[in-house]
Amino acid sequence: MTPPMDRRRFLKVTAVTGTTAALTACGNPENQIVRFIPDEEIVPGIAEWRPSICPLCAAGCGVQARVMDGDAEVLRNGTAGVMRMPLVKKLEGDPAHPISQGRLCVRGQAAVQVTYHPDRLVAPMKRTGERGSGQFAEITWDEAITTLAGRLDEAVAAGQATAVSFVGRPRRGRRAELVARFLQGLGAGAPIWYEPFDDGVLRRANALSFGHYQLPTWDLAHTRYLVNFGADFLGTWNSPLAHSVAYGRMRQEQRGIRPKFVQVEPRMSQTGASADEWVAARPGTEGAVALGLARAIIAAGLRPASAAGAAGALIAGWSEGLADYAPDTVERLTGVSAKRLERLAREMAEHGPAVAAIGGQALAHTNGLAQALAVNALNALLGAVGTPGGVHFTPLASPVEAPATDLATHVREATPRLLFVDGANPALTLPPGANVGAWLAAIPFIASVGSFVDDTSAYADLLLPDHSFLESWVDAAPESGALAAVTTVAGPAMRPLYDTRATTDLLLEVSRKLARPLDPPLPWQTFQEMVQAEPAAATPATARASRPASAVAVAAAAPRPWSAPGFDGDAAKFPLHFLPFASQAFGDGSLAHLPWMQELPDPLTTAMWSTWLEINPATAATLGIADGDLVDVVSAHGRLQAPAVLSPGIGPDAVAMPAGQGHKTFTRYATGRGASPFAVLAPSTDAATGAHAWAATRVAVTKAGPPDGRLILFAGATRERPAHTRGRG
Amino acid sequence: MAHRWGMVVDLDRCTGCEACVTACHAENNIPTVGPQEAANGRAMHWMRVERYWEGEYPDAKVKFRPVLCQQCDNAPCEAVCPTYAAHQTDEGLNAQVYNRCIGTRYCANACSYNVRFFNFFNPQWEKPLHLQLNPDVSVREVGVMEKCTFCVQRIKTGKRTAATENRELKDGDIQPACAQACPSGAIIFGDLNDHESRAARLAHSPRGTKLLEDLGAEPKVTYLQRQPWNESDA
Repeated sequence: MTPPMDRRRFLKVTAVTGTTAALTACGNPENQIVRFIPDEEIVPGIAEWRPSICPLCAAGCGVQARVMDGDAEVLRNGTAGVMRMPLVKKLEGDPAHPISQGRLCVRGQAAVQVTYHPDRLVAPMKRTGERGSGQFAEITWDEAITTLAGRLDEAVAAGQATAVSFVGRPRRGRRAELVARFLQGLGAGAPIWYEPFDDGVLRRANALSFGHYQLPTWDLAHTRYLVNFGADFLGTWNSPLAHSVAYGRMRQEQRGIRPKFVQVEPRMSQTGASADEWVAARPGTEGAVALGLARAIIAAGLRPASAAGAAGALIAGWSEGLADYAPDTVERLTGVSAKRLERLAREMAEHGPAVAAIGGQALAHTNGLAQALAVNALNALLGAVGTPGGVHFTPLASPVEAPATDLATHVREATPRLLFVDGANPALTLPPGANVGAWLAAIPFIASVGSFVDDTSAYADLLLPDHSFLESWVDAAPESGALAAVTTVAGPAMRPLYDTRATTDLLLEVSRKLARPLDPPLPWQTFQEMVQAEPAAATPATARASRPASAVAVAAAAPRPWSAPGFDGDAAKFPLHFLPFASQAFGDGSLAHLPWMQELPDPLTTAMWSTWLEINPATAATLGIADGDLVDVVSAHGRLQAPAVLSPGIGPDAVAMPAGQGHKTFTRYATGRGASPFAVLAPSTDAATGAHAWAATRVAVTKAGPPDGRLILFAGATRERPAHTRGRG
Repeated sequence: MAHRWGMVVDLDRCTGCEACVTACHAENNIPTVGPQEAANGRAMHWMRVERYWEGEYPDAKVKFRPVLCQQCDNAPCEAVCPTYAAHQTDEGLNAQVYNRCIGTRYCANACSYNVRFFNFFNPQWEKPLHLQLNPDVSVREVGVMEKCTFCVQRIKTGKRTAATENRELKDGDIQPACAQACPSGAIIFGDLNDHESRAARLAHSPRGTKLLEDLGAEPKVTYLQRQPWNESDA
């Protein structure tokens, strides 16, 4: 990628020489500065706020961008220059937006760095070196579009539905609709929306229990008793900002009543740290705890089993009062004492409105769907569905589409002739058994529309960088986070800095260049036209017939038992459960390129720029591991090295590790930094849904060496900091 | 009556999410220092979230506490500054005049709360990250001590806006970046001399405590302790 670096060096020179150079440098093209004159006015030094939407997760938070004028080094049709233009200075929550409500989460605050990232792709490029070598050369958009249209023509001519694939990150809205309709017009399969910490299991469970293929929203502002099975709803999961706002109200705005919050999870998450009581159930047994609670409530006569209705009928033995989940049995299964279970059940039933929640690690097991169904039935028993303080489903203009296939299956079963990658990074996050590297290498042509070169887009033949969200028309129709339907559309908050092109407009333009026009055609010239037009009456009928949702519904008519989780790896050889978790700073790793996020101290460890392995102090002592020691983590599928952090927030039979680092390539800030927990995961799946069971791997941990300085802690208070680690103190 | 700016942090609402930390970086042009210097203890966070583990597995508990400059009435940092760079304003802020600071670092040594940060080198924003810099806040240079200002630029803007609109400043007109961002509404800022302000009322909550109160620095940040669940009240 040398050409953009050359340009940067050039810009550095021109910036120093300043405006006078433009007047004096005639005949000396290196020093010539082009001053682009914008056609819009902004008063120097006066801030104004323009609406936008944070794109970093699927929550769809409305933001306000603080805009002030400034001199930006820009690129226009290959010419570098300086432009005085409105620039976004800061992102803030939009007080009028029903999801963000004037607030903005830790990651959303850093979204502005996506636009101003020094390693952002500034123009289209084609591959010049070996696949994956990261060697690219700049080309013009004309060449890029001609190449892409030609490759699409070739791929489509082969006449296979699998000839063109699109892998992106799940974001509901008209952009996703445009992509789906583009593919449909080509005759290709539906786009594949991929995230490693996917919530498909919970959507399926909600479809079965409540008839909503959708993530839930909890009305926490009116909840008086919350039992949460592993959902990191205050950190990274579902719609964390909206739930955090509601959580604040739950805690201190209920007229003198201070509710209780119980967290059931084997590793204390940042969300669990805020709970009043932590119940450290064994990994994958959360569903048994939920059924134990339900059984105790029914047995004590606090609620009749029939109150759970259809959601209860999905659980084997429900109508008989869950005889298999007597407190003693549940204690053996889960490690939660019978006495405690009965106390929690009574508290829950007596101090309503009570609600149960499940998500994250609790669903990433081979019994994931059964776990979710158990918690859904408990909610139904408590009368917590659709009631104040309970679980709700945001009304949607168009339903959430069940995916026709998941990425792991697609990788196994199909090799497209042309692949679009849109910000998804499966090369980092699919388990090693998926062999995604070999799959990418076998695909004849890959086009990436992301703004950065990462582990996956390094395989691309063509880089077609999108505008940043602040430079484009954006929209969102999130599936959760509010009790009323929310659809947001916003125009660009600033002009594009570089020769990038909105992917939406790019697809529309390419569609006009194809040898065989799209069928049905796309009726818009630009994405702006599309978002300003009325939404389509129905969502695109992409492969509707092959949707598996109906099949699941049929199969689920019969009640199913909760079953104990299965784990990959022999317990004698691999004695410890390996629990990956989404990082507060990086999420699944897609934000590791942002310097603010790299230098953010982790809430529970204060680690910055690092990866670490959380291990129980007793386990560490047995293995001869001290705080900060380097350890080897080995599974049947891979190995990694990371420093150990001793934590009382995890059981002696498990270790935990944040996702986020371990990128082979992902800008100057994240390349080669730390390790990725995905590197040791087994390809195990939830038996009922086929979803990746990413918490079902066992590992062995051994000491690899003394602390080597790669664990960097902030640790503001000296007494908290172990002596050997480096950091402020 | 002069304003007297103060803050209340409700630890029962705080989730330790650190939205305040990033918001502070964005508002106040706080540089990132990179892994090497971070390892040398030079990372800068005017706002940080401390966490305290209590107990052992499986009865472990965590308490989060956002810590920023406590804007002490009796500030130990001010008394030791030879150049009056650290001084108390009429509105009770522990101000830091960057142009006066000669980098003795006496103030950071004297501060009981570890909230002052020294610029060991000139800050760097690798281009074009500099475009995000807030023009309302000066960028500090090498050799200068810096710290939380309660977003004094926002206080000034709020006062100026009220004056332009020919009205009194209202409670809630001014919000530091951390309070504005806080998802769970745990950070409340206001005028302690305005007894009707939310911050002034909450500062008198029976749950209110000051950080290291017995040192006598008289902080203007009040922490509301987490409230235990009480079955008979619920």
